[in-house]
Order: sequence, then C-alpha cells, then structure tokens
Amino acid sequence: MTEDRGAPHAIVTSALTRQFNGVTALDNVSFQVDTGSIFGFLGPNGAGKTTTIKLLLGFIKPSSGRSAIFGRDTWHDGVAARKSIGFLVPADSFYPEMSGRSQLDFAASLSQSPALRRRELLDVLELSDRDLDRKLGKYSKGMKQKLALTAAAQHDPPLLILDEPTDGLDPVVQRNFEDYLRDIHHQGRTIFMSSHDLAEVERICQAVAIVREGKLVALEQMNELQQRRLRQVTFTVAEGSVPDFQLIGGVNSVWRDGDRWLLSVEGNINPLIEVLSGLQIDDLTISPPSLDDIFMTFYRPEGTDIGLIRDARRRQYSAGG
Amino acid sequence: MQVVAVLLIWQFRRSLTGLVALLLGIFLFELIQPVAIASVGDLDRLQGILDLVPPSFLALLNVTPEFLGGAGLAGYLSLGFSHPVYHLLAGATVIWFACRGLAGEVERGSIQIALSRAVSRRSVYFSRLIGVVIVGAVVAVIGPLGMIVGIAIGEPAGSIRMEYLFIQGIASALLLWAIGGAGLLISASASRMGQAIGWSIGLLVVSYVIDYFADLWGALEPIKPFSLFDYYDPPAAMTRGEITGESVLVMGTVALVGALSGLVVFSRRDLP
Repeated sequence: MTEDRGAPHAIVTSALTRQFNGVTALDNVSFQVDTGSIFGFLGPNGAGKTTTIKLLLGFIKPSSGRSAIFGRDTWHDGVAARKSIGFLVPADSFYPEMSGRSQLDFAASLSQSPALRRRELLDVLELSDRDLDRKLGKYSKGMKQKLALTAAAQHDPPLLILDEPTDGLDPVVQRNFEDYLRDIHHQGRTIFMSSHDLAEVERICQAVAIVREGKLVALEQMNELQQRRLRQVTFTVAEGSVPDFQLIGGVNSVWRDGDRWLLSVEGNINPLIEVLSGLQIDDLTISPPSLDDIFMTFYRPEGTDIGLIRDARRRQYSAGG
Repeated sequence: MQVVAVLLIWQFRRSLTGLVALLLGIFLFELIQPVAIASVGDLDRLQGILDLVPPSFLALLNVTPEFLGGAGLAGYLSLGFSHPVYHLLAGATVIWFACRGLAGEVERGSIQIALSRAVSRRSVYFSRLIGVVIVGAVVAVIGPLGMIVGIAIGEPAGSIRMEYLFIQGIASALLLWAIGGAGLLISASASRMGQAIGWSIGLLVVSYVIDYFADLWGALEPIKPFSLFDYYDPPAAMTRGEITGESVLVMGTVALVGALSGLVVFSRRDLP
C-alpha cells in the first residue's frame, strides 16, 4: 500500500500532545496543511515548533493525539509516511570528515529515488562542483546550509519540511531559494516551513500557524491574517482637545509624548480616521503593517492589553521623537 | 536490505581512519610478543624472569608461573591475548564503533539524515549491529595475524600449532561480540557518545577487575562467574585449542541479549 499523495491534506495533526517529564511541550495542537500549499509555522524558541516537527518525522512519540502525512500515521507507520518527505536536517548534523558530494550521494541512496533536482538546486544555491568535492569541515555555515537544503530537496519529494530554511544564506541566494520554492509549489509540491524570518514567511506562505507555549494560537490563511494586522498610527495634534483614543474601536494601545501620539490599531482603521478627521492633525503617519506586528499581537503577555506591543512602540517612538 | 548495506558501507567509510589506527595498534602489539620472547633467549630464561614477577602482576594476565613453565611457547604467547593492553585496544575498538554509530550520531544529529527518510530504526540498528559483528571479527583475526608475522620475524624457541591461533581468534571474537552487544545496548539508550563510551568502558573495567581480584582473593571467587573474562581463556585456546561450551553459551547469550535489548530500546526511544 502506498501513501495517498492525492489526499487533500499533506499534513494532519489531531489533538497532538507531547509531554517531557510532566512538562507539556505541545498541547492539543490540531491543524491541517493542504496538499500543494506553502504553510508557515511560527513561534519563538521553546514554543513547540521543533517538537511538532519531530513528531511529524517520528523522532518522538506523541503523548496523545496523532499526526499523519498523506494519510499515514507518523509514529505507527512512520517509514511509509516519510517516503513523501524531504526534511531539512540541521546543517551541523552532516559529517565534517566527508565531502559534500559523498553526503549528497549518501542522502540520495537513503531516499531510494534519483536526485533529479540536485543540479537545479546547486545552481539556485550557488554551490559549485568544486565546493562539493571539499570536506564539510571546510565549509562555512552558509555552505553547510546550502548542502543541507540540497540534500533535503534533491529527490523532489511531494512534501518539504523546512526548519529555518534560509538561516545563514546571503540575501541573494535567499531570494533565489524562495523563487525555487514558489516554482516547485506551482508544480504541486507542498512546503511546510518554520522560520524566524517573518518577512520571508509573509512573502512565501499562503497559510500560517502560530504556536505559543505549546499551544496553537492562530491558524489562518495569510490574506485573512493580514486583514487583522496591527497598524501603527502616529500623529501630532495641532490644537484643540482630544478624545479618549482608547475608546475607539480597534485601538489597542495609546502612547503620548506632548502633542505627539502613537496608537496601535488592530483590524479596521476607519473608526480612528473618522475621529482624526475632526481634529487638527499634523504629520499623520500610518505605518505599513507587517506580519511582525501580528506576531507580536499573539505574543503579548496574557492579562495585559498592551504589553509587548506598547513597550516596543514606546521604544520606537522615543527613538523617533 | 539495500538500505542496511548503504548505511553499513557509510559507517565503515567514515570510521576507516580510526579503525585502521586501532587495528594497526593491535596488530603491532601482538607482533612484538614473539619478537620480545625471542629476544630473551630460550624459554628457561624467560621462566626465570617470570618467577621473579609478583603473583598479583601475573594475575593481571590470568596465568600462574607453574602453568607457563609447562605450557611452552604457546603459553607465553597466550599472554599477548590476556594482557590488559590487548583488552584495552580490542575492547576500545568495538566499543568506539558501537557507540559512534548510535549515541554519537544521535548526539550530532546525523541520525536524522537516515531517519527523516523512508528508513526504519530497525534498519539503522541492524546496520550498526552487523558493523559491530564485523569489527569484532576483524579485531579477533588481526591479533593472531600479527602474532604469526611476529613469529616469522622473531623465530622464538619452541613451537606452536597455528590452528590454535585460529581457535584463539574465535575466543577473542566471542568476547568482543559480547562486549559489542553490551556496547550497542548502552549506545542505543544514550544521547551522547562520551556517555555511552564511559559506561561501556566502565562495565568492561569492572568485569576485568572482578576477574582479577577473584584470582587473588578467595572471598571473591563466588562473583567471578559474573565477569565476562571468566569465560575467556587464551591459555586454554593457545595450548590445547579449547573453548568450553559454557564460554560459547555465556558470551553468545550476552552478545545476543545485549543486541536484541538494544534494538528494542532504540526502536522506542525519543530522538532528541
């Protein structure tokens, strides 16, 4: 029996939970990754990203719940599940005493499928044949990352699982690799990637999951998420009294420095614009929203309204003022 | 099976330098035994020297002066296979190989290269197990080979039946497979290579010390059967071509139980 690569979901996790010595590292996490999509998996260190990936690869056993890749349970039927995977092994895991080429050959032998995309990847990542003949111990961090990416994707797997894929790559190669991911995505491959580079995730991914302290706090299509972006609005009130901005819908933080104001607004910004239109305003700036802001929204400490966002904005505002 | 072969060949490729160095050490150590004996002169002079050696030192070699006096060249040469340096070199080779392949790869993360693909943990483990069996066999053979070369070079007085060197090779292989089985079990459960090697060498030393002190102090005699070295008898192999059925059974069982337990542990454990 082979895995169902035509399944609607490349990855499914159902109430996936993992505890280590009584500490819950991953708590009841459920999400689905559509076949043929690019899915971003975000969270700070210790949030549960790596634990999730290890569960998907069958490196660790779930305490409860399950995960499946193309319909195959990743723990009980792990070998079949992993037939469809190309996983980005940490670059330092490769063997320093062996040449890059021999390690790619070794990886291809284990994949039991020809390295159809090796040449293409080497070109995209700007790794030369001469580089491949050198021992890995002489590679820079970026070169090791390029080799690891090639080893992960050279056999053209239906699903790529990439943990911090562009870590250590220079910006040009990073963009080349993003283009490569888009190309293979258009050819029907599924990409599951975790990254600290939110801008990169924003550029590439169609859907995003955010984990915090082992729990899934957001699971949305990128365009839906972007509609809930946090905007930063700064302005100076020339004269006259001002209303209590905190009462305006969508405003979730307010900071004032003399006549200058800094507001964070989530979602629809129109109610604030309406209020501001009745005031004498100078220097109105609405910052371009980013995924970074959304990310911060999910990471502000529980029990506070403003928390990290206000602190971050205050620092930014003070520096700007 | 193809994957197991790929993993096995890769393991040997990346361990080649270390293995060659250790094997060369064992080969040379055994080579110098007959050369050293020849340099003393006839066996009576050698016996005279050994008579001066305190019994506690001879216990390290697991022999008595009386035995050596009656055993001739084969008896003296058997010391080369019961010497602590031989145990250290041979044991370290097998333990290093067993611990490098599992605990070492878990520590470095290299194990993920295989296990993130359609490769089962069982396949990875079997490749390591076959590797340990091969390394144990090669280490067991390289010692007698070195001794044969040493005999040809040194031409010591006395005679030895070459087929008994083959029997000694089997005795060494049994001991090393037992050590390798235990080493694999420890390696399968450890997450750091140093930790695995430390525990394995520690067990080997404890086993040796039990055997040593049991020879010196009668009070420790009851625990001697718990030492692997109680079932390893180079003088018997070299002078009589003998390995007891009990030795085969005990060392074979330790090797098998260690290897199978390692498989169970490795199949179920978390990979950090």
